[in-house]
Amino acid sequence: MSIIAIENLEKSYHDSEIEVRALNGINLNFEEGEFTAIVGPSGSGKTTLLNMIGGLDKPDRGTILIGGNDITRLSSRKLIDFRLRNIGFVFQSYNLIPVLTAMENVEFIMHLQKIPRADREKRAMELLESVGLGDRIHSRPSKLSGGQQQRVAVARALASRPAFILADEPTANLDSQSTRNLLGIMERLNHEEQVTFIFSTHDQRVVEKAHRIIVLEDGKVITDRENIPVVEP
Amino acid sequence: MIWSVAWKNIWRNRMRSLVVVMAIALGLLGGIFSSAVLKGTSDQRVREAVSRETSHLQLHNPKYIEDQEVTYFIGTGYKPIAAVLDTIRSVEAWSPRVKFMAMAGSANAGIGVMVNGIDPDLERQVTEIHSLICDTCGGWFKGGRGVPIVVGQALVKKLKVRQNSKIILTFQDMQGNLTGGAFRICGIYRTSNSVFDEMNVFVGRSDICTLLGADSLLSHEIAIRMKDPDETARVQKLLQSTFPDLKVQNWKEIDPILGMLNDFMDLWLYLFMGIILLALGFGIVNTMLMAILERTRELGMLAAIGMNKFRLFLMIMLESVFLSLTGGIIGIILATGLTVYTRHTGINLGSFAEGFEKIGYNPVLYPSLDLYFFINLTILVIFTGILASLYPARQALRLRPADAVRNE
Repeated sequence: MSIIAIENLEKSYHDSEIEVRALNGINLNFEEGEFTAIVGPSGSGKTTLLNMIGGLDKPDRGTILIGGNDITRLSSRKLIDFRLRNIGFVFQSYNLIPVLTAMENVEFIMHLQKIPRADREKRAMELLESVGLGDRIHSRPSKLSGGQQQRVAVARALASRPAFILADEPTANLDSQSTRNLLGIMERLNHEEQVTFIFSTHDQRVVEKAHRIIVLEDGKVITDRENIPVVEP
Repeated sequence: MIWSVAWKNIWRNRMRSLVVVMAIALGLLGGIFSSAVLKGTSDQRVREAVSRETSHLQLHNPKYIEDQEVTYFIGTGYKPIAAVLDTIRSVEAWSPRVKFMAMAGSANAGIGVMVNGIDPDLERQVTEIHSLICDTCGGWFKGGRGVPIVVGQALVKKLKVRQNSKIILTFQDMQGNLTGGAFRICGIYRTSNSVFDEMNVFVGRSDICTLLGADSLLSHEIAIRMKDPDETARVQKLLQSTFPDLKVQNWKEIDPILGMLNDFMDLWLYLFMGIILLALGFGIVNTMLMAILERTRELGMLAAIGMNKFRLFLMIMLESVFLSLTGGIIGIILATGLTVYTRHTGINLGSFAEGFEKIGYNPVLYPSLDLYFFINLTILVIFTGILASLYPARQALRLRPADAVRNE
């Protein structure tokens, strides 16, 4: 069964007098446990599509069913709560809270979910260990490398036990080694814990690891195909 | 956790926050200390005026208040009133006075004065004049030759007389005839009100009644000192209902300027502090706006991951309140220290003494503020923090998460 079902999604922006059609009739379904890359040139609509799926923006037309709920019809207040409980986000620029430690950053979203302190500390610790940062739990983001910060961001995204994780160009600011480490962790989480990842990317190394590749161009799906991931030697 | 995040957030830009905190602290230090000086001065003036000039309550023949004619005595004499006053527990003391205008003259000069015919022992329980006679200035109706009179230092200067000098009081008697008597200065007092000192002389009531040709039980005024000043209104009401033919006035009615000073001082202080806090509030708004501008992406991220608008608002409001409260507490501590110190030492404005005394103020100022002022001020500081957070928080809530997270 699809965890996300998108039908006839359309979105236009008005840049001065010119109408830009960012999404032009998108129809997609995502299954649980997918590891999907959305690719395409700049301006193809990748980020707009992720924003729509993540409930950060509203379409002009169409529906997005997540777990049976059409999130395009949810009020702003309900949508925030929906995001909190169902969607994990990994951003290109990590976007951690700089005044909090790695542990506190992961805990924060669970605090928003009103999870008791002892439980959230335990889970935050487990998640940071699973992304290989068990020894850096008390480090603030400024003391972590870009790759380590992005791993904290993945742990934070997982903390709320979301139905899926949306990652917008997660490796764009990472070097090769950090990209490999991050992809390894994401693949493992996908394989071992059935975490669903949907990410937009320009990075060929990331595309090669995806199980499914969706190519967008001018707001339309040009290709939607399965991919056999490249296995690292 | 949001409280802890908010507290940590204000120290992200340590220098900027410290500048705002110091601005608030110094603003409040200046404001509170100025208020303490004003309040102390006002309280001192009220306290001195009540204990030296007006007392808490006075009873008169209503006609006497309109026209201070020597014949407008309290009709019953003071004894029946004294009998009632002695039964009221909150009344500490009372003093009957014969009071009228006269001309005081010496060999050198003459001037109009208010003659206060008093019973020295009763009067000393009501007013402090007896204690304001310096060691070398004689005493309160003590010793000496002739009919004693206690005069103010300002009058002494005016008449160019000194202790034991003779002065002549000239006035109308009960029949409207011009009369008078010679008095020997037995004591010279000095209050902080040179106009009062120049105007008021104290003589024995029996001496003056004899010269007036009036019964010794008559009086124009009965001054009352309260044990508990908070009881003044109740006792005033009681006396007015007991003696409907008399006019019972409290010190605010006797000296309306003093009453207004007392009533409006608190209002004025809060207005004064309010203006200072308002100005500081704009500084906080500016700081918070800069902080939000710098954190657009982070705020967008928080909204994206599911931090609702209330929590986002709460976080920004707490940052603003913490900022203002930190400065506020430092300012309050500094101001309290300075107020306590100067209250102990006094602020001597001796070089302006003449001017101060002309308007009835003591040139040594003792700043004072009550606990309620500090409690209310702390509430005002918190309120300022909340108020200052509204606009920045509104700006933050208007951010669209999708745009904010990609903001560079």
